[in-house]
Amino acid sequence: MMTPLYKYGFFGDEFALLVAFALGLGFGFFLERAGFGSARKLAAQFYLYDMSVFKVMFTAIVTALLGVTYLGWLGWLDLDLVYLVPTHLGPQLLGGLVLGVGFVVGGYCPGTSVAGLATGRVDALIYALGIAAGTFAYAEVYPAIKDFVNAGAMGQVTLPEVLDVPWGVLVFAVVAIAVAGFSAATLVERRFGGKP
Amino acid sequence: MTLPRLTLNQKLAVVALVLGAVAIASQPHRGPFVKLDARDMALIVEKEVDHVTPPELAAWIIEGRSDYRLIDLRSEAEYAAYHIPTAENVTVSALPDYALSRAEKIVLYSQGGIHAAQAWFLLQAEGYRAVYTVFGGLDGWKDDVLFPTLPADAGSQERARFERAAAVAQFFGGQARSGEATAGSAAAAPELPKMTVPAPSAGAVAPAAKPRKKKEGC
Repeated sequence: MMTPLYKYGFFGDEFALLVAFALGLGFGFFLERAGFGSARKLAAQFYLYDMSVFKVMFTAIVTALLGVTYLGWLGWLDLDLVYLVPTHLGPQLLGGLVLGVGFVVGGYCPGTSVAGLATGRVDALIYALGIAAGTFAYAEVYPAIKDFVNAGAMGQVTLPEVLDVPWGVLVFAVVAIAVAGFSAATLVERRFGGKP
Repeated sequence: MTLPRLTLNQKLAVVALVLGAVAIASQPHRGPFVKLDARDMALIVEKEVDHVTPPELAAWIIEGRSDYRLIDLRSEAEYAAYHIPTAENVTVSALPDYALSRAEKIVLYSQGGIHAAQAWFLLQAEGYRAVYTVFGGLDGWKDDVLFPTLPADAGSQERARFERAAAVAQFFGGQARSGEATAGSAAAAPELPKMTVPAPSAGAVAPAAKPRKKKEGC
């Protein structure tokens, strides 16, 4: 059996939605277990006294990276069929910046606000309403900014292609950077967070 | 000599580094050789899920969708004379070396449909899964999109559909023909529109088919 299951037609649109729902529940569960249902915990990342966000997210990246690599190597996953969001460098940098500002000010990112909302937090509710309003506003102004949003299209590119290094070397480099980052994060927490 | 006692985090870090180091030798991408599942192929052919109908394609073009690549497999001269807007000209022999991605939706067409079907198998054999052919080829495009005809005994529902099709035909520079008109001029083959590509514009014409929702991305 080969994955991605959806692309190989093992199930249709309706079942895909159920799968997405189950994955979403799992995602939310682990966000909540990591403490990310709390805006305090999330905001602490930006004041450097709690590096949980960095650690959890980078751990997820490394886990997924190794998982995808080994599954592809074993022949269980067709990496060519995995959807990649096309790269538009400039617009995405600006978009990331806007999201980051919202993250610091609101104390949530879109996923964690839903996790916070599920545990009944009022601030998360306000944030989620903000997301809805922002989505609506974006859709309204989209025609005016369409050219910018689609500027600098680089297609579905990956780091090994852009940097011209073998896939495996990049995998090892990311893992090494992550491990070094985790050590550095612990030092930062000691310095700013008063953690032992 | 005793090994230093590691914390759980340190153990996990070691595991990740070892897996990362082994992964340096990995070949996670599929090579050029693939096994085709003959039953799978036969099922796709029989269920006709590899077809895009001309009206569907017309709707995509009008919407200005960019999540597909439209490939015209005919000769350069034929392509220059007329091609479906947004199409790229790639002859069958040039197809294996043409820059396509396996993650892209690829829509093929030829004059009738035989070359497109053969190219479909060619791409399937190279591991492209999201390959479609335009039903009826360019002939089908002419009949269903550029010069749709209204049967003489059409009901009201068919008439409504025909009116939408006529608007689409006009968008692409074609001309809808009602049953009575066809009777007189059936012998004269309609002239293909001049090759000026209409710019995709939102709302200029009502899309003939219901737009499909995007299934990918987050």
